[in-house]
Amino acid sequence: MSGVLPTLDDLPGPVTEPRKIRRPFAGSALFIAMIVIGVVMLYPFYFMIDTSLRSESSFLNGGGHSLDSWRALDSTLPWGQQLINSTIVCLLSIGIILVCSSMAGFAFAKLRYPGASGVFVAIIAAILIPVQSIVIPAYVDIAHWHLLTSYTGAVLMYSAIGTPFATFLMTVYYRSLPDEVLEAGVIDGLSYPMIFLRIALPMSVPALATIFVLQFIQIWDDLLIGLLFLQNTSERTITVGLGALAAGRTTDIPVLMAGSLVSALPAIVVFLIFQRFLVNGLTAGIGR
Amino acid sequence: MRFEYASRIYAAGHRPAVDRLSLEIADGELCVLVGPSGSGKSTALRMLAGLEPVDGGKIYIGERDVTDLAPKRRDIAMVFQSYALYPHMTVAQNLGFALRVKRMPRDEVKRRVEEAARLLELEPFLKRRPRALSGGQRQRVAMGRAIVREPQVFCMDEPLSNLDAKLRVSTRTQIASLQRRLGVTTVYVTHDQVEAMTMGDRVAVLHEGVLQQVDRPLDIYDRPCNVFVAGFMGSPAMNLLPGRRVTDGLEVLGSVVPVPRELGAPGTSGAVTAGVRPEGLQLDDPGRPGTIPATVEFVEELGSDGFVYGTVEGGQRITIRSPGRRHPSIGSQVGVRLDPAQLHVFDGESGERL
Repeated sequence: MSGVLPTLDDLPGPVTEPRKIRRPFAGSALFIAMIVIGVVMLYPFYFMIDTSLRSESSFLNGGGHSLDSWRALDSTLPWGQQLINSTIVCLLSIGIILVCSSMAGFAFAKLRYPGASGVFVAIIAAILIPVQSIVIPAYVDIAHWHLLTSYTGAVLMYSAIGTPFATFLMTVYYRSLPDEVLEAGVIDGLSYPMIFLRIALPMSVPALATIFVLQFIQIWDDLLIGLLFLQNTSERTITVGLGALAAGRTTDIPVLMAGSLVSALPAIVVFLIFQRFLVNGLTAGIGR
Repeated sequence: MRFEYASRIYAAGHRPAVDRLSLEIADGELCVLVGPSGSGKSTALRMLAGLEPVDGGKIYIGERDVTDLAPKRRDIAMVFQSYALYPHMTVAQNLGFALRVKRMPRDEVKRRVEEAARLLELEPFLKRRPRALSGGQRQRVAMGRAIVREPQVFCMDEPLSNLDAKLRVSTRTQIASLQRRLGVTTVYVTHDQVEAMTMGDRVAVLHEGVLQQVDRPLDIYDRPCNVFVAGFMGSPAMNLLPGRRVTDGLEVLGSVVPVPRELGAPGTSGAVTAGVRPEGLQLDDPGRPGTIPATVEFVEELGSDGFVYGTVEGGQRITIRSPGRRHPSIGSQVGVRLDPAQLHVFDGESGERL
């Protein structure tokens, strides 16, 4: 029937579910882009795993897989001890960074005292100083204090390098905490140190976790400080050990790849465990 | 408790946030501090709580001078506008926190927390974190945190402003009745004059840091002491009209209204402000003798009655309460009759009541 009145078929049907906007091109383009990015990201891991499962000759000339390189790694590199060293240095440094940055951040964000903004700017400015430019004078200083033959020198260096940015992050985070919650603590009878410990600190766990993971990756992967400030071979971290592998006249690439995998795994595990805090921590304070 | 000439000055040379506030609040009384934003009402409350230093004068709780005491020694509890619950603690931990800080025995803490939870119907939520509660439940936790301390004074800083309109009305009555049951002296800060009218035993109106008037709600409504209080309390606001004293009364909106002798002292002819509430004006047919002609601009219907917004000659806007449901239409001409008995007269310059 063709008339003035619309037929039943012309009328829009009842809306039973929200219509999905179909944009097949946009969907598949995004998908392809994600695959490309994924391949780019994952290829190094594939290369590392594949190479580590070859002997040097099969890597250079082609050939089958074997565990030769892993055996060679085990015999040349005290990787177990070095992983322990890395862990010790990392945890000690991060511990110092967390203690200093949380207390300083709370003070900058919530306490009023003369010169606060000047000190804050000075600390933030320290983020801009490249490590390479101060590492030699710092080396001389720490050598004077006879701290090159223990973990202490490296731990102090990592703490000093990591604290400014961590302080900045904690300050921003504490600024986002409402004053009224802290005032509730005052009314409830807490002293300022106790307000920090019992209210502010528990509320800043996401920010602390963010700092933990960022610093862990940075310190774990660092070579320069470890190389200079850990003079005893027994205290070397895993990255320094790998550096030593590569420093010989000929470098056995498959062995190096096996060592790199060993060194990368802990950082990846830490990242995977803490990544949800990381996202929360970096976006904390944006909204209510 | 009482304030004695208590002042708070944020920056030297600026107007004090609270200017020589003197106010005595009886035991068990609920006193509402009300005023527009920036009137110093919250600052006054924070001075009482000890969160804000007192730059001049004294504050007493009972006979104890608490002016320089730390908040925890003042025996007060506070309900914050944002509730300020501790997000990392459960409801039970939030309620009992102040008691645990005071090192009260465990079973006493437990008893008080359970009692407050029962009173506020929070028992099912004791193990939850604040973020898993609704706005009204959070508000009740904030109240409970104050109640468990059994303090001498409750300080409440706009505790209802984060609730939606309906919940605000029901919570308003709950707080007022709870306060009466507990009999704890309460200082309640709000910018909402309806809250002030309905909740307070007495209402203190503040403006620019200065206390304007303290009285029972209806007394403030009936006898505002100056133009500011007259315009602030009551909704819709009182009509404030320029007027002039003449020999046989008061000239308002072009007509002479007879007023009691003491107001229109003969021989004087100074400017005054005449205040009349919307219910003090009645609608009449246009052109009736003794009425003021006005044009209807807008009509607000509330169901049981309505408010007619109009303008009179010279552009002065007025609000008239119109009972029932038959209201004039927009744009029509009406006559407005002024009830002389409901006229408030204020000095034209100082704004003080005459």
